[in-house]
Amino acid sequence: MVPRGCGKTAPAGFPADCVTMVQNELTRNEPTAPALLIRGLSKSYRQGFWGKRGKPAVCDLELTVGRGEVVALLGHNGAGKTTTLKAVLGLVRPDGGRIEICGLDASRPAARACVGYLPESPQFHQNLTATELLDFYGKLLGLDRTRRRERIADCLQMVGMDDARNRRLSECSKGMRQRVGLAQALLGEPDLLILDEPQSGLDPLGRREVKEILLAQRARGVAVLFSSHIVPDVEAVADRVAVLERGRLAEIKDLQRRGPARGFKALIAAPPARLATTWLAAHDLRVAIRADGRWLVETAAAGALGRFLSACDSHRIAVYDVQAAGTGLEDELTADREAVARETAVAPC
Amino acid sequence: MLNRVLAVAHGTFRETVRDRLFYLVGLFGLILVAATSVLAPLTVGAQAKIVADVGLAAMALLGLLVVLLVGASMVRREMEHRTLNTILTKPVGRGEYLLGKFCGLALTLACMVALMGALYVVAVALSPGDLAWSHLGAVYLTFLELLVLNAIAILFSTVAGPALAAVLAAAMFAIGHLSRSLHEFAAMTGGPAQHLARLAYRVLPDLEVFNVRAEVVHGDPVAAGHLALATIYAVGWAAAALLLARIFFGRKEL
Repeated sequence: MVPRGCGKTAPAGFPADCVTMVQNELTRNEPTAPALLIRGLSKSYRQGFWGKRGKPAVCDLELTVGRGEVVALLGHNGAGKTTTLKAVLGLVRPDGGRIEICGLDASRPAARACVGYLPESPQFHQNLTATELLDFYGKLLGLDRTRRRERIADCLQMVGMDDARNRRLSECSKGMRQRVGLAQALLGEPDLLILDEPQSGLDPLGRREVKEILLAQRARGVAVLFSSHIVPDVEAVADRVAVLERGRLAEIKDLQRRGPARGFKALIAAPPARLATTWLAAHDLRVAIRADGRWLVETAAAGALGRFLSACDSHRIAVYDVQAAGTGLEDELTADREAVARETAVAPC
Repeated sequence: MLNRVLAVAHGTFRETVRDRLFYLVGLFGLILVAATSVLAPLTVGAQAKIVADVGLAAMALLGLLVVLLVGASMVRREMEHRTLNTILTKPVGRGEYLLGKFCGLALTLACMVALMGALYVVAVALSPGDLAWSHLGAVYLTFLELLVLNAIAILFSTVAGPALAAVLAAAMFAIGHLSRSLHEFAAMTGGPAQHLARLAYRVLPDLEVFNVRAEVVHGDPVAAGHLALATIYAVGWAAAALLLARIFFGRKEL
């Protein structure tokens, strides 16, 4: 008996499907296989009565997400983020390219056993309680009764829904449904988490909790691919950022290898007039904004900032905020966009 | 595979129960009470016939109502609410999902028909006349008809919106009960019309196979062979409709 797609002979007495399943399991646990491999992914949607292909939603996308790595998909609306996620999950059929999840062809149901997915603004059966819903998904994942109970309790606790476990979803707020959605994504202890706007609809505390959950999953070796519009949230958790523009991968930013700060900003209470002029010159500072009795001052050197802050302390001038300028992802993306705009303006049509 | 189908079926059943569909059984009881207390006295000596006729017709129509309200919108509603996306990203095949949905609604229909059947049998037993086995045969055939309509409604639900799918399924119910006329028309006519009528008869379901109301009302027996053939016919039609639904649904991009 020879299993499909395999030249080796299966041991006598074992059905081919069983052998294939074992081989899949071995491949899945193969540490060298990345959690997600996308090669040359292209997708355009059919439009109109005749089903003509429209503009490509995703074009020739290449992306790899390693185990224990958090990668964010960033881009405008229509950049191709959701289409990419849907193609990985088998919800849309790619026109071309190859997608592998933990070494398995993504179109196969077995590959989806390795994936946890949270859609944007998740909707669930409103008549079910959080526990019943997770029990349903646990059955789909093939978990036995004991394991299901354990995982449901763990996941609800993890997302802070322990107290609302028996509340019907129709009575839950948007944020609570988001948490339940995250719990169902974590239920099967996936190797790859795919999250579509995971922090949308959450209050600041909820966003922080999601961030902590994602970081904990990363520490467990789980790969995470998520899309988001919220740059600070992306910055807080992602190792790399894939920037999509009109369906193409514009660039990948490695947030672990960011350059040094290009300057510093401090928000302070306005100093007494007698100090202001001499003081600013002495500390090599520039006032960017003066409003409501507060000053936003800028300096290029870290040393100057340090001396300035200790001077503020000695003169009892309140310091409200200190930021490094030019290292943020938002700054980088803005700088990139301005550079592209300049090039476009210069380039002939 | 079986576990996943059962999980989807159980979820669907639970959902329909919580949607209070079983209130329709109460409505059925009221119809039976009305048939026995209002209509039966108008027809001297035919009380049992009235109860049987109205009871079986009401059972079929209330079952059809459930199929139209739930079956015709089941898949599309999950697509629109995007609950389907989360389900299909688990290791569940699209065919397994459709089969689970079909089985879940079939279970709901089975429970409803069983409850309505019990009320029906009680009403017939309380009426003057004999309670024959054919009454139970008629109830069983009503259930088979609903199974076929359930599969057809799911098929339409994969290609059309809830309203259109319900209209198409209702049309199929009507056409299915009239399709024998096409057969008779084909026998009377000739040429291309005959071929077309025959083709239409073969392509469309013949739901009159499941209608034995006339026999039951007149006290004629329902042959066991007819029940067996009707079962095979229903299973065949349901399987064909689900297979077609699987093909359409397999191409669907979510």
